[in-house]
Amino acid sequence: MPETYKIVLKIRRYDPDNERSWIQRYQLEAGRILRFTDLFRKINKELDATLAWNSSCEHGQCGTCSVKINGKPMLACELLVENAVAHFETNEFLIEPLTIAPVVRDLIVDFDKAYERVHKIKPYIIEPVENPNAGNEYKISPRHLERYVDATRCINCFCCATACISSHHNFLGPNAIMASIVRLMDLREQAKSERKRLLYSEEGVYRCHTSKACSFVCPKEIDVAHFIALAKSGELDPRLDNEN
Amino acid sequence: MPAKFKISSTLNCDVLVIGAGGAGLRCAAEILERKPGTKIVAVTKVPHCQKSHTGTAQGGLAAVDPKDPVDKPIYHMFDTWKGSDCMADQNVIKKIVDSAWEQIVWLENKGMHFSRNQEGGLSKRTFGGHTVRFGETSAYRAVFEADRTGKGIMDSVWGETLRGGASFVNQSIATELLLKDGRCAGAVLFRERQGEFVAVCAKATVFATGGDGQIFRVTTNCRQNTGDGLSIVLEAGLPVMDLEAVQFHPTGIVGPGILASETLRSVGGILRNRDFEPFMEKYAPKMKELAPRDLVARAIETEIQEGRGILNPDHNIEHVWIDLRHLSDYVHKVQIPEVTSFFKKFVNIDPKFELCPVRPSNHYQMGGIPTTEFGEVQSASGEIIRGLYAVAECAAASFHGFNRLGTNSILELITMGRFVGQRIVEFLADQLPELPADTGKKSFALFSGYLDQTGKENLEEIREESRALMTEKVGVFRTEVGLTEAIEALKAFKKRAANTTLSCKSLKMNPELILRWELDNLLSISLVTAVCALNRRESRGGHARKDFPERRDDFNYHTLATMIEFAEVDLGKREVDMSIFESNCEHCERFGIIERKY
Repeated sequence: MPETYKIVLKIRRYDPDNERSWIQRYQLEAGRILRFTDLFRKINKELDATLAWNSSCEHGQCGTCSVKINGKPMLACELLVENAVAHFETNEFLIEPLTIAPVVRDLIVDFDKAYERVHKIKPYIIEPVENPNAGNEYKISPRHLERYVDATRCINCFCCATACISSHHNFLGPNAIMASIVRLMDLREQAKSERKRLLYSEEGVYRCHTSKACSFVCPKEIDVAHFIALAKSGELDPRLDNEN
Repeated sequence: MPAKFKISSTLNCDVLVIGAGGAGLRCAAEILERKPGTKIVAVTKVPHCQKSHTGTAQGGLAAVDPKDPVDKPIYHMFDTWKGSDCMADQNVIKKIVDSAWEQIVWLENKGMHFSRNQEGGLSKRTFGGHTVRFGETSAYRAVFEADRTGKGIMDSVWGETLRGGASFVNQSIATELLLKDGRCAGAVLFRERQGEFVAVCAKATVFATGGDGQIFRVTTNCRQNTGDGLSIVLEAGLPVMDLEAVQFHPTGIVGPGILASETLRSVGGILRNRDFEPFMEKYAPKMKELAPRDLVARAIETEIQEGRGILNPDHNIEHVWIDLRHLSDYVHKVQIPEVTSFFKKFVNIDPKFELCPVRPSNHYQMGGIPTTEFGEVQSASGEIIRGLYAVAECAAASFHGFNRLGTNSILELITMGRFVGQRIVEFLADQLPELPADTGKKSFALFSGYLDQTGKENLEEIREESRALMTEKVGVFRTEVGLTEAIEALKAFKKRAANTTLSCKSLKMNPELILRWELDNLLSISLVTAVCALNRRESRGGHARKDFPERRDDFNYHTLATMIEFAEVDLGKREVDMSIFESNCEHCERFGIIERKY
């Protein structure tokens, strides 16, 4: 196992001040367990302080550092140098910004735009069902929760939306669709019809071509396509199985 | 000054929330629920509030369920008081603990996906330091959403504020607090994407800017936690409190510092040094690996400082090992799968077959902006600053004193967030304040200074060196000599910071410019932390002085610190509230100055 790797990062850059876009090549020597966010920081420190990128938690919980690496959308904070070399079978990596929203500078995209679709599906309980257990928690069986709990793990990193082969312009996108499915399966939500109207609209689930790219790239390993399939076949009624 | 340094627009609103994490948005949600239509502007440094540090909290929320036949709020209050090493304020402890369950129900009713028991109710688990009958046995007091409780809270409060119509200003920082005639009038924001300064005039301004973990090199905190909120409060001439009270988690994963849960030790993980010696026997012969968090952190740090650590070449950080190889497949697969996956993901190690590198990692700041039990910000003399509030980790009410119990932090977010919201609603009939005439002047001078300065120093290098210094000298262990050296070194870093040249001169989405601003904040907060730690010649909770290893009663007070000019720190005191002890309630006698022994 080598101690360090000679890595080439070819980064797609964009300068909003001069509206100029180009690919810049950086060569660096990196330890085997450095993450790609560490590499970006190394570039800033040693080679080029102007390279702009985004991150927050840097341990795979927030979905801020998503980029395309050799075409595959992924979280830069989770990709170790030696794993990247093994996975892509190369020491050269093309790093590009996500394609779901306009680029602001270099690898930073406009998340306000990206999130518009998530906001559109209303990521909250629109109208609560009357709680028979008023003043306490609703009763939800673990078996029922199990049906959709995986979908609640989504962090909106937009990797799935970037990988999706359906057009970004008229499709809500896998992550937004999944957020709505969660509330359709959640027995605390009353506003099922309103949700279904959007889910089965022109920009809804039937735009999905079932490529399952969403499930393939999800950093949280959520089977996104499974939830979209449930929606397509109409198997979202929460009351079916909330029995103990 | 170039024309780009101007206030591009002025926003008028009822409430300005600076920091749109769990506490800030819980506060906003409360206001919107009580007074729909209130105009709220919520600012966050991250690209969207869902990316906030709150979202990374794993463990759970402590709250006594009134239906529980065994547990009682007074036990939770006692545990918090004992855990705080007699430095939490008892009025705040009572307020938070008494309202805890109601807030859990609120979150659940708003759609949080709590883990469930077989009856469909909320699952509960035990957590370190939480007991029933004053330490007799462990309490099942923590409700949780699998290993992502913080994310559940974040998603719920984001949803509620979105529904209520709050405006979000994302990827933006507050650069200047606006005070006029002793009243807070709002703040100046810098919108990074647009490269514009915006003035916000608000009846009430809430600081919810979170912790300052990035002052340390190894930390569980997200990259944005650079102490910005505390820094601009200090610049406005207001105090911070108890910055020397810092919690270190014993087992952060090398190198990022990601938290590897206590579970590793409770299921039988063994800590080993360079010579593979199981060293906990020396420090806690009976409890060994199961000793409390701070004791284990100090044991690991001692091993490293005495040369029995191992250097990780990639991250250039020293660590010890945690050995999980002897544990059964069942333990690996069923009891610790998440932590196992962290080691695989971030250090490429399979804990079933290899030793795992860990070291103490900065985790939580107990101190912050001093407030009343309603989150009202206080001046150094204890007067309330009208229209200014602070809540949760950036604030010190103080619920945690000198050491925080696990699961009490996110409980503070939702309870205090709600109380602050409630208080603000009473205040909204007030007139909109006037902005000071020189609004923005400070920010323009600062930012144009950054762009104009020249020199050969490297920004990232200073940041790295300063953070390494803090981990080494103001970390798990502190001494008079080390702290004095740290203070001198920080002054030198400040001078070096003035000799950096920014490569990109644009105001628009320029992370280098933000790093430069953050460096000033990091250095200010580092310096105040070191000065407070030097002043407190005792050991208490998360503050461990090697040269003063005992707790001392003459330090039974909160430290207040103000710093208008860099490195000129004025110290003061605030009394610890002992209202439970002084009341005549049942068990009040247990709330005196007690030993923190487990």
